[in-house]
Amino acid sequence: MSAQLIENMLQALVAGLLVGAIYGLMCVGLALIFGIMRVINFAQGDFMMLGMYAAFYLVLGLATQLGLTGGITPYIGILLTGPFLFVVGYAIHGFLISQVSGTRSARLEGEGHYAQLILTLGIALVIQNGALIAFGSQLISIRTPLSASAWTIPLLDGDVMLFVNKARGVAALISVATIVALTVLIGRSRLGKALRASADNPDAATFMGIDVARAHRVAFGLGVAVTAIAGGLLATNLPFHPFVGIDYVIVMYAGVVLGGMGSIGGAFWGGMTIGLVQQLSTLILPTQLQNTAIFVVFLLIVFFRPQGFFGRVAERT
Amino acid sequence: MLTLEGVHAGYTAIPVLNGVSIRVDEGQFVAIVGPNGAGKTTIFRTISGTLRPFAGRITFDGQDLAAVRPDRRPHLGIAHVPEGRQVFASLTVFENLEMGAYTEAGRRAWKENLEAILGWFPVLAERRNQLAGTLSGGEQQMLAIGRGLASSPRLLMLDEPSMGLSPAIADLIFEKLLEIRKHSRLTILLVEQRVAEALESADRGYVLEAGRVVLEGPNSALRADDRVRQAYLGM
Ligand SMILES: Nc1ncnc2c1ncn2[C@@H]1O[C@H](COP(=O)(O)OP(=O)(O)OP(=O)(O)O)[C@@H](O)[C@H]1O
Ligand SMILES: [Mg+2]
Repeated sequence: MSAQLIENMLQALVAGLLVGAIYGLMCVGLALIFGIMRVINFAQGDFMMLGMYAAFYLVLGLATQLGLTGGITPYIGILLTGPFLFVVGYAIHGFLISQVSGTRSARLEGEGHYAQLILTLGIALVIQNGALIAFGSQLISIRTPLSASAWTIPLLDGDVMLFVNKARGVAALISVATIVALTVLIGRSRLGKALRASADNPDAATFMGIDVARAHRVAFGLGVAVTAIAGGLLATNLPFHPFVGIDYVIVMYAGVVLGGMGSIGGAFWGGMTIGLVQQLSTLILPTQLQNTAIFVVFLLIVFFRPQGFFGRVAERT
Repeated sequence: MLTLEGVHAGYTAIPVLNGVSIRVDEGQFVAIVGPNGAGKTTIFRTISGTLRPFAGRITFDGQDLAAVRPDRRPHLGIAHVPEGRQVFASLTVFENLEMGAYTEAGRRAWKENLEAILGWFPVLAERRNQLAGTLSGGEQQMLAIGRGLASSPRLLMLDEPSMGLSPAIADLIFEKLLEIRKHSRLTILLVEQRVAEALESADRGYVLEAGRVVLEGPNSALRADDRVRQAYLGM
């Protein structure tokens, strides 16, 4: 194998791992909402888009108002997007989504899934068009000083040079750190256990003294916040516009299903798989077929392992 | 401690409970018995608040529960061990117990409670990291009771703890309940199909039929009553 071919393959692999980490984080946000709380949310991509704009303006604000222009400033802005979108998600759930989910879902047809589908599609349209009016349709992206520089890693006595874009590298690290923090929160903390108990059996959770409606709002807000942070990280490399959410909501559902519903770690690996397939497919396929490649792999995995990577068969009794 | 006065309740316009009055005093063991569909579970639902009565009053320690949200009632000291166990299937045994200790009182007494619960039901200690959904029916019932006790309740409400269990396991559960009661002076409200056992352990009993209390009194009086002997005790 020629050094050039090895270099191309390794470069695609690295690109896949880096973008896969961000996709993984994005999927984890949806996994909280769809996998754990069992709410269908088709506006998740649009919450991500809101996260991108929020991060864009927060970063801009930090630079123009506070004069912060260092390499880490954009990442501070992006992480601040989390609390901001948490409040948005918490409020939207309280006013709208709670009507068709949680304790109410038992009384609705199909556990409220039909109503959730229609309601969140409506929310998606409102957010998209609202964003179009507020932000306009031009492509923008979050500029980071790090985007223009790369770490170079020489391999095989310098025959192969691997370039790792610094902005992407830092974004991937932040993704992984966020997921670790979230896994600990959901797996170990009292709040996390209360969220899982509320999703598992709302009546019994009420008998324990848990405010189930609030637990659902918090979970929704957390899921939105996590996906919004992923959106902000993605926006450091990707120009975006008010309709960018549509492409990614598909990635997110595919990732959550691949990972096995209800598993945070699984959703991360699901997103990672999609990132890898997308980047590696560019080695042999034209760019336009990237998304096709994702779906071929998705169908293959779902065909051979319908419960996903981490899903347990018959998890719920 | 707990009183129901003229409670009417139901799921549709047709009432299931037609003016039920029940009284449980501090430290008592009270049993409610009656045929399937009499409304026993419905009574429990109105007490824990997942069903709002049409009319009537429910008080706990003199406080009107109508003003207390369902999720606040456990914090007053009411533990509901529901019919069909309803453990958190996707949580581990240990996490289920931790959720039981969600109340302030439960959190404060967590260490002592845990030790006591695992002492009464050693099988829960063996299976502490197993998902509750994979436990056997008897183990799930022990977990449901343990989870209720973990909240440090003052009133423990048990809805048919013997449901679907073999006679041997059901006997074991009854034995444990008496042991727990002796140890902790807990007030217990029990709904049971196994009328003989229920009336044997209880201080007082109520017989519920078609949403009405048709008979009440100390257990000795109920066990001596001809109607109870014929209908429930097969004598
Ligand atoms: N969720 C519900 N919706 C409509 N009707 C209900 C509901 N739950 C119970 N019922 C009805 O209310 C009546 C009383 O039910 P309940 O569960 O209180 O009986 P029970 O005395 O606990 O019976 P069992 O011994 O079989 O548990 C029954 O006729 C039942 O069909
Ligand atoms: Mg019942």
